[in-house]
Amino acid sequence: MTKVILNKNKVLKNEYFFVDNLTNLTKSNSENLIVTLSQWLDNKNTLSKKKNIGIKLNSDESLSLIKEEISFFKIIQFNFLTFKDGRPFSEAKKLRVELQYTGEVRASGYILPDQYIFLLRCGFNSVEIESEKKKFWLECLKMDTGLYYQP
Amino acid sequence: MYQYSDKDKQIVKNRTREFLSQVKRRIDGNLTEEEFKPLRLMNGLYLQLHAYMLRVAIPYGELSHIQLNKLAEISEKYDKGYGHFTTRQNIQFNWPKLEDVPKILNELADVEMHAIQTSGNCIRNISCDHLAGINNEEVEDPRPWCEIIRKWSTFHPEFSYLPRKFKIAVIASEKDRAAMKVHDIGLKLIKKRNETGFEVYVGGGQGRSPFIAKKINNFVKKRDLLNYLEAILSIYNEMGRRDNIYKARIKILINELGEEKLKSLIESKFKKFADKNLLLEEDEIKKIKNYFKLPINNPIKSSIPVKKNKEYNIWLNQNVIKHKLAGYSIIMVSLKHYNQPPGDATAEQMKKLSIIAKQYSHGEIRVTHEQNLVLPHIKNSDLFSVWNKLSALKLATPNIGLITDTICCPGMDYCALATARSIPISQKISQHFKDQSIQDKIGNIKIKISGCINACGHHHVGNIGILGLDRNGEESYQISLGGSADEKTSIGKIVGPSFSEKELIKAIQTIIETFEKNKKNNEDFLSVFNRVGIDPFKKDLYDKSNP
Repeated sequence: MTKVILNKNKVLKNEYFFVDNLTNLTKSNSENLIVTLSQWLDNKNTLSKKKNIGIKLNSDESLSLIKEEISFFKIIQFNFLTFKDGRPFSEAKKLRVELQYTGEVRASGYILPDQYIFLLRCGFNSVEIESEKKKFWLECLKMDTGLYYQP
Repeated sequence: MYQYSDKDKQIVKNRTREFLSQVKRRIDGNLTEEEFKPLRLMNGLYLQLHAYMLRVAIPYGELSHIQLNKLAEISEKYDKGYGHFTTRQNIQFNWPKLEDVPKILNELADVEMHAIQTSGNCIRNISCDHLAGINNEEVEDPRPWCEIIRKWSTFHPEFSYLPRKFKIAVIASEKDRAAMKVHDIGLKLIKKRNETGFEVYVGGGQGRSPFIAKKINNFVKKRDLLNYLEAILSIYNEMGRRDNIYKARIKILINELGEEKLKSLIESKFKKFADKNLLLEEDEIKKIKNYFKLPINNPIKSSIPVKKNKEYNIWLNQNVIKHKLAGYSIIMVSLKHYNQPPGDATAEQMKKLSIIAKQYSHGEIRVTHEQNLVLPHIKNSDLFSVWNKLSALKLATPNIGLITDTICCPGMDYCALATARSIPISQKISQHFKDQSIQDKIGNIKIKISGCINACGHHHVGNIGILGLDRNGEESYQISLGGSADEKTSIGKIVGPSFSEKELIKAIQTIIETFEKNKKNNEDFLSVFNRVGIDPFKKDLYDKSNP
């Protein structure tokens, strides 16, 4: 299934690569890379020499493991194992407020369009979704009136 | 009473529209039932044993006569002509059709009501003292604080997918009428050197593992309240367990981490990262407080009608409380008539009560967590007229606080989770102890009945708690004694092996006899239990050598 990136109402192509095995890196995909937490922890030395590296954390993986290195990443992607796991909402907020992270924060995995506004309001910039579902996401975005009880 | 701003109206309207689109996507097959479930739950819609159940929010238990009348209409139009008031001061309808739910939500929105966050893993309806603002003991009226918290917690972007549901209660006096210490967060307004602020309790709860909340802060300033709550919720959202639904509440987190550790995490988050936009400024607080000004301002000279009618006098004695303003009274409207499931009200009762409230109580009605209603501002001289009207509606059963005033969950008659029936048990108790002189002699006692381990009927904190279980296909009832949900909150102790439905009433009778045998002067049940302990009760219930 084709995935697209949605940044508010803009549909974008994913500019980052993801490889299951880092030994398979070629010249064309050795930068603009999103790595998993374990890829990062195992290959920190090589990866930290590259440009435009992002990290993908599953919703049950804690941000605290990479807290000190956060500013290195161009993008931090929270991968929801289930839409019911609300931890990334707090993690994203922590990134923005406590860790002053200014890069891109992206949601991926099992997420629902009904969560879009909440994601954006917690500090996410973008979501990775199946292309054919984007109309529901855009519909949910349209329903946002900007009237909230929280700052 | 609080009245919706344009913003409130718009937010509720949007929610209804959003729900409509979700129902459509569900019907079109673009949402699986698993995906739809948390979305409909966050809108109060459950799938129960026989049908959908819709739980409508009654914020901190306060209703206008117009709203009560609307609830009556909804129960007639879309349900079977009755509603069930719950221990969280809400109301639930047991028989709505899925396709009618958006229509019901629209009708509710017309009278500034909704079903938002009455279920799901989010912050639920805020509980409050049903005598808020009308008693003499409180530091200040807690209702404006409930409203402030209601707003902050509604569609909170960070806290809508918590590990589990989250309940908050606010009280404002030493007396606890809201079961504050069995909430995830309990807030108690106190005064310290002329400044009002909050004592904060965390980690209370019932369910399969009952806990009494622990005090984690002696004084949070008013302006900091929302930041402090954010710190607690944020730590909970991050660290609360998600691997086991039965261990997901904050009560488990505080017990696994330890009180001191959780407290220091919360304090550090609060101190370092408080959001200045969440600070509550005086003028903002004042604006909300203005909504809760009493509809009556001054004491008046008005005396209670003196009549020779015995029933009226018993009712006056049992169901009527002094208002903080002289000349007025508070009427507790019993929803525990001997022939009606506890907490149930028929459309006719709700409609006529709404008229009574309009005529005699400045249009206000409240719901108690003990599943009764309150007419908060009755002129003393009107008491006899109101009694007459309530009596005709079977709403004047003089049993508030007595043995037939039971708390009871819907149990296996409705609920998909239940393991036994609870309503018939409560009705049997009512029938058995119906005689007024027997009830008076027993005095204050709280029986609370749950049809399963989830404890919606608060059995852990009943003076006598009854838990319905399934033992090899047979309903069986476990009794605990000595629980309490007031300012001296305690969790009941299981007295011994459970009883069959047939044996249960006899067992309760035995417990009452043991109490009466040990009673000194005017002691109530709980005082006797606390003095003599569980052993005499055990002995009388189980010791076969006992004659």
